[in-house]
Formats: sequence, C-alpha cells, structure tokens
Amino acid sequence: MPTHVETLENGLKVVLRPIPDTKALSTWVVYRIGSRNEVPGMTGSTHWVEHMLFKGGGKLGKGDIDKFISRLGGKMNAFTDTDYTMYFETIPASAMDTALMIESERMRNAAFDPKEVEAERTVVISEREGAENQPEFLVDEELWGLAFHVHPYHWTPIGYKQDLASLDREPLYHHYLRYYAPNNASLILVGGFDPAVAMQHVREAFSPLKPEPAPEPLRLSEPEQRGERRSDLVRPGPADLLSIGWHIPSAAHDDTPALILLSTVLGGWRGLISFASGDWRPRSNRLYHALVESKLATDVGVRQEMKLDPSLLIASATCAKGVPLDRVEHVIDREVDKLRRTLPNRTEVERAKQQVRSWARYEQDGVTFQGMLLSAGEGLSSWDFGDRLLAKVEKVRAPRIREVARTYLVDEHRSVVRFHAQEGTG
Amino acid sequence: MASEGDAHGVAEFASRLLLSGTRHRGAAKLADRLEGIGATLEFHNGEELLGFNGRCTRDSLRETIRILVECLSEPTFPQREIDRVRGELLNDLRIEADDTHSRAARELARFVFPNDHPYGRDPKGGTERVRRIRRRDLVEFHESHVGSDGLILAVTGEIDRELVEEAIAAPLSRLDADQEGIPAIPPPPPHKPRRATIPMPHKTQADIAIGGPAVPRRHADYYALNLANLLFGRIGLYGRLGRNLRDEQGLAYYAFTGLDARTAGGMWSLSAGVNPANLEKAVQSIRAELDRLQTDPFHADEIQDGRDNQIGSLIVSLERNAEVASELHRMEYYGLGMNFLERFPEIVRDLEEDRIRAVAVKYFTANGSSMVVAGPVGRARLSL
Repeated sequence: MPTHVETLENGLKVVLRPIPDTKALSTWVVYRIGSRNEVPGMTGSTHWVEHMLFKGGGKLGKGDIDKFISRLGGKMNAFTDTDYTMYFETIPASAMDTALMIESERMRNAAFDPKEVEAERTVVISEREGAENQPEFLVDEELWGLAFHVHPYHWTPIGYKQDLASLDREPLYHHYLRYYAPNNASLILVGGFDPAVAMQHVREAFSPLKPEPAPEPLRLSEPEQRGERRSDLVRPGPADLLSIGWHIPSAAHDDTPALILLSTVLGGWRGLISFASGDWRPRSNRLYHALVESKLATDVGVRQEMKLDPSLLIASATCAKGVPLDRVEHVIDREVDKLRRTLPNRTEVERAKQQVRSWARYEQDGVTFQGMLLSAGEGLSSWDFGDRLLAKVEKVRAPRIREVARTYLVDEHRSVVRFHAQEGTG
Repeated sequence: MASEGDAHGVAEFASRLLLSGTRHRGAAKLADRLEGIGATLEFHNGEELLGFNGRCTRDSLRETIRILVECLSEPTFPQREIDRVRGELLNDLRIEADDTHSRAARELARFVFPNDHPYGRDPKGGTERVRRIRRRDLVEFHESHVGSDGLILAVTGEIDRELVEEAIAAPLSRLDADQEGIPAIPPPPPHKPRRATIPMPHKTQADIAIGGPAVPRRHADYYALNLANLLFGRIGLYGRLGRNLRDEQGLAYYAFTGLDARTAGGMWSLSAGVNPANLEKAVQSIRAELDRLQTDPFHADEIQDGRDNQIGSLIVSLERNAEVASELHRMEYYGLGMNFLERFPEIVRDLEEDRIRAVAVKYFTANGSSMVVAGPVGRARLSL
C-alpha cells in the first residue's frame, strides 16, 4: 500500500497512508516512552501520564477532547505499553484538523492541573484493582517480576499500587515534558485524504512545536538468567494456572521470524495485534492438541512478546478441574522438547506460515487497525516493521525453527509461575 | 436459547460442538484445514440466535463455506468431544463464579428477566445441567433447530454477486429446514426490583450492576431510549455517569451503561467497578445521577451532541468488514430494511427533545431497577 513518510524539522516523523474512497480517518501518535523508561518508586507513571492527556491544556479545556470526538461520532483511546505509548482518534476524514489539533496540543501543552492529577490517582488505582481481581493478571505480573531482575520489564505498565498511591504531580509532569516531544514521536494518518493536503495540515499543526534533547538510551540490560526460577501463588481462584516464560531476543533480532513460526506451531497465531482476533482461539497447534483435546487443560496460549529489548515467549494454560499442575507442565515440557529435538513437518510449517500470512491481511481491515499496526511498528522500529517481518517469515525453513527452539526454549533460562487455586471462592 | 425449552444449556453445549467433528473429518482435521487455509470460523450461542462468524480471503471463501455447511449439517457430536466441552463448560462456570463483573451482571439479568426467561438465564445452564446433558439431547436439539429456517448470512469484503451466488448461496441453500421451525420468544415476565450482594472477600474491587427492563428493538421508544442511554452513560468517557463517578470523583475506572434491545424485550443496565471503601459513595452518586434526570434533564446542547455522535458514528462504526457484516445482519434480522443506514440520520434528527428526556425518566429509575453488588462488600450498607 502506498505510504508517504516525511520527517519535520522538529524531528516528528509523519507516516501517511491514504486509502482512496474511505470516509474515515484514523490519526495515531506514538511516543517512544513506556514503562521501560520508569524507575523504581515511580512505576505506573507513564500510564498515569497517558490518563492525564485526556484532561485538556493549551487550546483544550477539560472535557474538550471527549466533546470534540463524540460530536463527530468518533472513537478514541490510548494504550501504554512497556516500550511506547499510543493515542488515536478515528473520525470522519473531513474532520482531520480536529484530530491534528488535539494531538498537537496533547504533545506539549497538557495542563496537569493538580486537582485533576489527584482525581486521576484513584482512577488508575481502580484500574489496577480491577486487574487484580483477575488471577491471570497476578500470574503475569509475577512472571515478569521473576524473569527480569534488573531490566524495567520487571514491572508491568500499570505500576505498583504503592507507587500510584505516593507519586506527586511534579515527577509526573516532568516525565511528560521530558518524553512528549516531536522528536520522540511519530504521527500516523490512515484513511481518506490527499497526502499533499494532509501534509500541509500536519505542518501547520506540528511544525511550531519545539523538540527536546533526545532521551538518553536505556542502559539497563538483563543479565543472563542462571537457572530456572519458579514461583507458586496460592490464592482463592477458580482454576489452576500455569505460565512459563523463556527469554527471547528483541523484536528487531534476526531470530524473531523463526520464533514467530515456533510460537505458531506450539500455540497458534493471532496476529501481531491480538485485538484484531477478538475471542477467536487457534486450535491447530501442538499445545491445543496435547492439552485441550486431551482434556488436561481448558485453555492454552503462546505469546511472543515482541519488544524493544530482550523479552519473553510465554506459554500458558488453564488446568482442567482435578488435573495437577505438574501434569500440565510435564506435557508442555514434552512438547517443547519435541521441538528442540525434531524438525516440524512441512505441512505444519506451511500451515503456520499461512496463518501468519492471513492474519497480516485481516489486520488491514479498517483504518483503525492499520493505524495501530503502523504505530506499533514505529514504536518498535519503523512503520513497515510488520511487512518486513512477514517477508522474513516466508523465508524461514524447518531447521531454523528447531534451531531457535534449541537456543531459546532452555530450561535454565525459563521462569515458571503456578497459580494454585484455593477452593470455595464464593 | 429460546429454542431449548426446559432443556437449559443444550443450545450452548451444542454450539460449542459444531467444530468438533463431522461425518467427513474429526475436530483436529477441521482445525487443521481451516487454519491451513488461513480462515477462522466460530459458532456462538445467543438468547435468540445461533451465530457464526468467520474470516477468510477471496481465495479461501469456497472452502470456508463448504466447511461451514459441513459443520452445520453433519456434525457427529463425538462422545470424546462432548466430554471435553463438558469440562470446558464446567471450568467456564467456575471462572465466571469467581469474576465479580460476571457474577453481578448474571444475577442482574436473572432479576430483570425472571422465571428462567431465555434473556435472563445463564446460557450454560448451570453446573448440574451441564453434568446431565447427554449426546442424544444435543443431537435432538441440532436436528430440531439448526437448519435453513431463518438463516441469514451477511458477507462483506472482496466479493461480487457471482461469487456470492455460486460459493455461498448455493451450498447454504442445500441445508435442511429446521424440524420445529423458528420458536416464538415469549415476552419477559414482569420485573420486581430486587437487591442482592454477593460477598467475594478475596477480591480487591467490587462490581456494581444496576438495571431494569427496557424495550424491544422495534418498540416506538427505542431510538429515543438509545439516545438517552448514550447521554446518560456512554458518550465520551461514559456520559453523565462517567463524568461524575470517574472524572469528577475518581471513584471508578469504568462506570457506564448499556442498552440491550432484542425481539421480545430489552434491558438497560449500569456497570461500575469500585474500591469497596467507595461502594456507598458510588451507589449514592449513581442514585443522584438517576434523580438528576428529573431535576436537571438533558440540556439541548447535550442532546445535540448525542445526535451528532450517532449520525457521525455511521462512518466510524462501519470502517471494518466485520462491523459492516454485523450491521447488515442486524438490519435483516430486525426487519429494519436495507435502506436503514440511509434513513438513520433522519430518524435521529426527528427525535423530539422532550421525548428523549421523558424516556430517560421513564426507564432509568432507581425504584424500578434491580441492583447487585459482587465483591468484597464487607459491611457496606447499600441502598439505591
């Protein structure tokens, strides 16, 4: 698809993807700031900042963003990840200037009214408490904490409750000023517009914004894990859960395409952005066959967390009632061992590639998903990250899949979290 | 679910088995074939409909439809898969029983649609029912109710008329008719407002669910009520309700309302997740917002914002193929006419302001609503 890329003098990278005959427009801004840029004591600050950027400032009064987008029948939201933060509006294409104005004000002029900061404190705590109600969140938080001792992937983007309870406005506002600048962001437009006209409007809205000194690169890296780490959570809950995380390299690494196929063979593929696949779950994969079809588990999944820094490949399972965690773990071990020892067969590899190929097309359905995909690509490396990755996946052969299984699915480099559900939960 | 009569849970059970084997191939082969062509297919049971949705490319459309027809017309309900799905359903019941939001919402639906009405009961039927359902129940249900009667297929994307007729319409037209035809859905019994708390002391957050009967989709009040619902608990970051609970008081991450309008009835509901220490304050604030609908009805500019939102959303809410297909299905199922989207802006513009205010007061009432709170409720004294 034709995509125009230009960088403004202030460093803002602009990615325009016009789609003729489309009446909608999706505007995305991705900032290269996530929970990996936080330090202990201020975990969750990036996410809190994200919340504050809906509260006005500059030309925008409190509630204006809501009002402007609502009147257009648009949708908007934001997502804070470990590596980046993204904001979007999808609106009728005729209202492009509204989205550009909101995003340019948001970039430098957010108000951070002390009263609003305080009101939002309980909202982000409430968001965390809602997540704490879910055993899966507790397992996930425990797993990242276990696998990363040095790198900030140790905590999740929502942050720790004690930090959310004690953080002040000043560090939050400083965090915002430091990282929300045109030279630390990309603007992505997808939809019905003429690129030359759109570029003109983009320049008018964003060129006046001043850049900040480039953020220091993150110098923390996780030392090699020496030996398996395990954690057992014993809590009230409906089902035993198992989650195993193996260290894998960063998304940009040459082994990522082979790891994608490895993940797909092991646990299926749901696209680069799992939003697009909704509740659909893959069934044609080894863990589903070995655990769900055999009634040992009611749900399984494999997530390859593609991140800026070395990350995790996670296999998880919900145990069927009465099935011991040991047994489920043993079956996962067995399936992983098979991948290390034996080449996946040709049909299996071709099916995995077909899944990756098809999801790459399904993820192009609509301007919002396209915007999200391009933005996530920018957050990790470049807007065409997904396309380049797909091309590399096509070239992967079975021996390479076995090789990455041997390199990364190593027992000494894994972390295991087991959730032992206590009975009688209400 | 409306078709299953007293055999609660059979529709859900059967729908989960439609991908579990046909006369031509077993569950694993079906999954291998679908994923081998990069297609997805899912079946889901609803109060009124057995639905399926799938994604495929133009190249894989024929094969995907062939598999769909095979699953609909020739499922074998293998015992091994029945046992697997039974375990899955029992686990889902356990998981929902541990989820504050599910518990509150499920109980509220039971209050609003009492006497085991299909709109109010758990589609899974409960633990005892799941344990008792046998293969013959599933086969009988399938033979009686899964057929061509009332079948609507909406498809959008890279298609043309020839492809639709040859690759979709022709194979689907070979499906047998339902043995028992399409059942009439009884009107919901009268709702008597109730209050309940479900103590779940091990949870961090409590979920509040409040709601009452609304109107069927074709009711004369529907469009006014839909707009009133938007203004009360949806627009922007959750309308008046969200502005109060989230934005001004910081009591909840989510506090929103929903309007569910079906063939024979409907329900209006409100959901909020709050810290247990804030429960009483949150319920009082909800009550205050409900009362405010009378003392400070929607202003003209609020209503105009709502109209603009609904008309503008026609572009944004139909940007994806899945959204277009879903809307086409809805238009056909409720008999709205294929020109509905063209007529919709006029319908919204023609709504009188006083009518929107009046339906809000009529349906969104504290005294006419039931309330369920699930979570670490402690000694909170909750009165709506």
